[in-house]
Amino acid sequence: MLRYTIRRLVQGVITVWFIATATFLAMHMVPGDPLSGEKATSEQIRANLEAKYGLNQPIGTQYLIYLGNIAKGDLGISFTQKNREVNDIIREHFPVSAALGILAITFAAIGGILLGALTALYRNKWPDAAIMLLVILGISVPSFVFAAFSQLAIVKLNALLGFSLLPVAGWGTVSHMIVPSLVLGLGTMAYLTRLMRSSMLEIVNADYVRTAHAKGLPPTRVFSRHQLRNAILPVVTVLGPAIAAITTGSFVIELVFAIPGLGRYFVQAVQQLDYTVIMGTTVFYGAFLVLMVIIVDLLYGFVDPRVRVD
Amino acid sequence: MTGADAPLLDVADLRVEFDTYGGTVQAVRGVSFSVAAGKTLAIVGESGCGKSVTVQALMGLVPMPPGRITAGSARLRGHEILGTTMLEGRDFRGNEIGMIFQDPMSALNPTMTIGRQIAETLEVHRGWSRARAFARAVELLDMVRIPEAAARARQYPFEFSGGMLQRAMIAMAIACEPAILIADEPTTALDVTIQAQVLDLMADLQNEKSMAIVLITHDLGVVARMADDVAVMYAGQIVEKGSVDDIFYRPAHPYTVGLRAAMPTNADHADHVLRPIPGSPPDLFSPPAGCAYAARCPHAMNICADHDPPPFLPDESGHFGRCWLHHESVAGGLERLRAGAATERSAHE
Amino acid sequence: MTETPLTSPGMLPPDAFAPMRGTVEGHAITRPSLSYWQDAWIRLKANWRALFSLWLIVAMLAFVLVGPLVWRVDPAAQDLRQVSSAPGLARSAIIVAPFTAGAEEPPVPANRGLHLAAPPTTQVVRLVWQPVSGAADYLVYRNIVPVTPGKAYGLPLGNTMSASTTHYDDQLDLDPQTYYYTVIPVDADGRRLQEPDTIKVAVKSAITLAEAQERGLVGANDTPGVGDRVTLAWHPLGTDYLGRDMLARLMQGGRASLFIGLVAPLLYVMLGVAYGSVAGFIGGRVDQVMMRFADFVIALPFLLFMILLKVAFGIGPGESGIMPMIVAMVILLWPGTARLVRGQILQVREEGYVEAAKLLGARTSYIMLRHMIPNTLGVILVTLTFAIPSAIFTEAFLSFIGMGVAPPEASWGSMSNDGIKTMLTHPHELLFPALMISVTVLAFNLLGDGLRDALDARMRSRG
Repeated sequence: MLRYTIRRLVQGVITVWFIATATFLAMHMVPGDPLSGEKATSEQIRANLEAKYGLNQPIGTQYLIYLGNIAKGDLGISFTQKNREVNDIIREHFPVSAALGILAITFAAIGGILLGALTALYRNKWPDAAIMLLVILGISVPSFVFAAFSQLAIVKLNALLGFSLLPVAGWGTVSHMIVPSLVLGLGTMAYLTRLMRSSMLEIVNADYVRTAHAKGLPPTRVFSRHQLRNAILPVVTVLGPAIAAITTGSFVIELVFAIPGLGRYFVQAVQQLDYTVIMGTTVFYGAFLVLMVIIVDLLYGFVDPRVRVD
Repeated sequence: MTGADAPLLDVADLRVEFDTYGGTVQAVRGVSFSVAAGKTLAIVGESGCGKSVTVQALMGLVPMPPGRITAGSARLRGHEILGTTMLEGRDFRGNEIGMIFQDPMSALNPTMTIGRQIAETLEVHRGWSRARAFARAVELLDMVRIPEAAARARQYPFEFSGGMLQRAMIAMAIACEPAILIADEPTTALDVTIQAQVLDLMADLQNEKSMAIVLITHDLGVVARMADDVAVMYAGQIVEKGSVDDIFYRPAHPYTVGLRAAMPTNADHADHVLRPIPGSPPDLFSPPAGCAYAARCPHAMNICADHDPPPFLPDESGHFGRCWLHHESVAGGLERLRAGAATERSAHE
Repeated sequence: MTETPLTSPGMLPPDAFAPMRGTVEGHAITRPSLSYWQDAWIRLKANWRALFSLWLIVAMLAFVLVGPLVWRVDPAAQDLRQVSSAPGLARSAIIVAPFTAGAEEPPVPANRGLHLAAPPTTQVVRLVWQPVSGAADYLVYRNIVPVTPGKAYGLPLGNTMSASTTHYDDQLDLDPQTYYYTVIPVDADGRRLQEPDTIKVAVKSAITLAEAQERGLVGANDTPGVGDRVTLAWHPLGTDYLGRDMLARLMQGGRASLFIGLVAPLLYVMLGVAYGSVAGFIGGRVDQVMMRFADFVIALPFLLFMILLKVAFGIGPGESGIMPMIVAMVILLWPGTARLVRGQILQVREEGYVEAAKLLGARTSYIMLRHMIPNTLGVILVTLTFAIPSAIFTEAFLSFIGMGVAPPEASWGSMSNDGIKTMLTHPHELLFPALMISVTVLAFNLLGDGLRDALDARMRSRG
């Protein structure tokens, strides 16, 4: 298990290096190298950039400086704002995104597992049909549409009640988090529900479930000890991609609900062409997702005994 | 039928159907048999003849839908158990009737330790605590000759070999000391050397606990080794039933003769040739009006095409065969059936 | 057990026990043999959801390709007379005389309170009221919901700035709908003098004769008088915030969305098939290196790199919108298909029937044509079908955050981005493009499900 963990971490570091390199290449190899420094807005920023990135040095040296900075944990400085460091931006805005994301993934995982199990139990009856309709909606409707219409619904609801039950946008209290995290988790939840349903349906006919029945176990025990536990395994394997989907999904949700998270900041940086912040944030997100995938894989080892011994 | 001499398990006229895309399949078409304490009944037949469905119907394991039990009764010590899993307010499965399956690799839960899976049965039926049930599970594993049982009980199925898993399955099935053990092709998925070990284990346990065993198999070698009584199934019906000696030395149905001829033996002389039965079993979407075996039978007569043969009685021991050759109008039918199988088939082909 | 009396010999024909001639009919299990694709097509046709989706996709393609030939409204033309108008039938307007602000003052009404000096039209709403003693100024408000005590009065339109002016002409962005006007008299210190008066005004659509002629709403020889009705340009699905026809815009935007959604997956699936089959065929060390590289590309967080590449490519001259997005998708998304195809080819290579074909002396080209392609085509087709909705989603996502299709081009995603700004007052501007995206994505997803089930050879026996 320890050897496996170390191997995965080494692989992860290589992957992050690849992401950093690809980011560097994407910004330097295209026509009109934006990092040549000529587009910087002020003299002082340009001076800072030259100091940080070695912009007047040959490209190979620039690459080494860049990798060196990342290795030290320094993700760079802003291209458009004076004395703004990417690390500060992340420290300030990432906790907000993380809170939103954790709520969303929790909601998606629990909801997906429960609803998926429910559809399989009530196969071809009305709860199955109703949930699968919601799933189809969740898969087909873009999240920003859900976000917009949930805002509309909140406005109408507040008008109907005569007082503000839920805030329409913003951040700060628990009530600000509820609707955005639900909307953010919805697509992933729909996907997990579908996965859980097919996994349950496969397991309902599994030989070991038949064995459990033949042992005379009560149906509830067969369901909880034998079906559910095994049906969850495929859901755990896709948690990595699910976290990635929720992370990028938060860009839109934070934008619509005016949440001061890193996603919204990233989109703003993109719109303002703050090249260095885009680079730094991309590498940060990349490293974060690689770490999440490793954690999920290790977690899987605890859920499935067959992987544990490896 | 609640008298002292009543059979342990008495199944009468069991019929099971399945709804499929192509129509209704009549998988079991009026099967009757009974099992006595301490005896072994083998149900023999080729794949798809309905032998597994028969016992699954008894155990309430036929998925409904698409499955359906349309007729029949099954009495365990005189109590009806068909259509229910309860006997005197308790689930009889695992408690009164234990069951083991063909492929032990897939028949055990991959994410639960072997010990827990065995202990679970005792917790549910006996109401024992986890610790007590687990301790008993270790004893049971020891009883089925698994070395270092205490350590093995904490392992998962993927850490066991196939033969060990099947022995663990047996330990699980007999945990509550059931009166009947149903074994659905228990050795099919195992190596030949392991098969013998598992069969010996079953026989020893039967002697110790005087359990009845219902053994489902397509292997006549296993039948010869284990069975007291044999039921030969074909296309959802029992076509012949009798003692193991009846089946091997006094067969009363051409299919039994065919099965024998298709089986390798080591007792035969060197020029023994294996003879497969030509053709394939009938489509059970629409079972034939007459004898289901007629299309493959070397002795088929005109009557066989339209009239299903009733059970005939060639002798007085309870042995029967469903074949028109036993009819009084057919001169020397029995002799033809038993003796001339080989020559007549070659003429038929 | 005794013989059952069911068939007593007397009822049987005399040759009942004679040996049978011929064979018993109806026992053979023969079903018609079908090719892989015939079989798949039959199974797909039995799946009504997939079939319906297929027709929906055809309808959607017809909508964006044939639609503009039928609905010949310029998607870029702005109908400023009807901005953000709701979907519905053609609207009409009353011809009114030209209005010049401040040309004539309305007479002071005889009764107390707030009155209309002229019929209210989208050209102007003329308010007039009796002077309030002590009032130094009058504040005029307009609301779209009824004004109740304690509630806001709505949009502050302005004030008269004198005690003597007791009328107000509202010409600010009037729509044909109901408004609630409030006039509040205040004294010199800005204190409110009395409960304000509120009136409900149903504004009618109006147009001057000159404008109607300029827009071609009336014929050249046709000279309707003031008070006559003319029919305005018809926008069945309403207009957007710039007065552009929604139906025409949806057709135009759909072309961009579906173009990206179809072309990008087609290209990257093709690239993936090429890469994967080369790796699978050559095998060995080359395969190892090629697949390791694919693994790294897969590890790139896709949407982030889409944005990154968009930023990078967007800088080049003359490159905006659709092409950079397709290029970025092709660069980033091919490895999934490559992995799948390689795996499939490695698997098929090991199959007994390929070994058998080789032993029988089949050439590589024959094995490719007869075994490799049929066994991988199904998987590729299903991958492609699922790639399309995700590409459409990606386009919508990027356009929504302003990184996708840029003006003057439109896509359903960029239309949604526009629509969200006016969502609270005019939800149709978001609803329609969102609906188009959802229906298209849904149709491709259901078709993909159907195809996967139909092509799954394992399910064949269930027939």
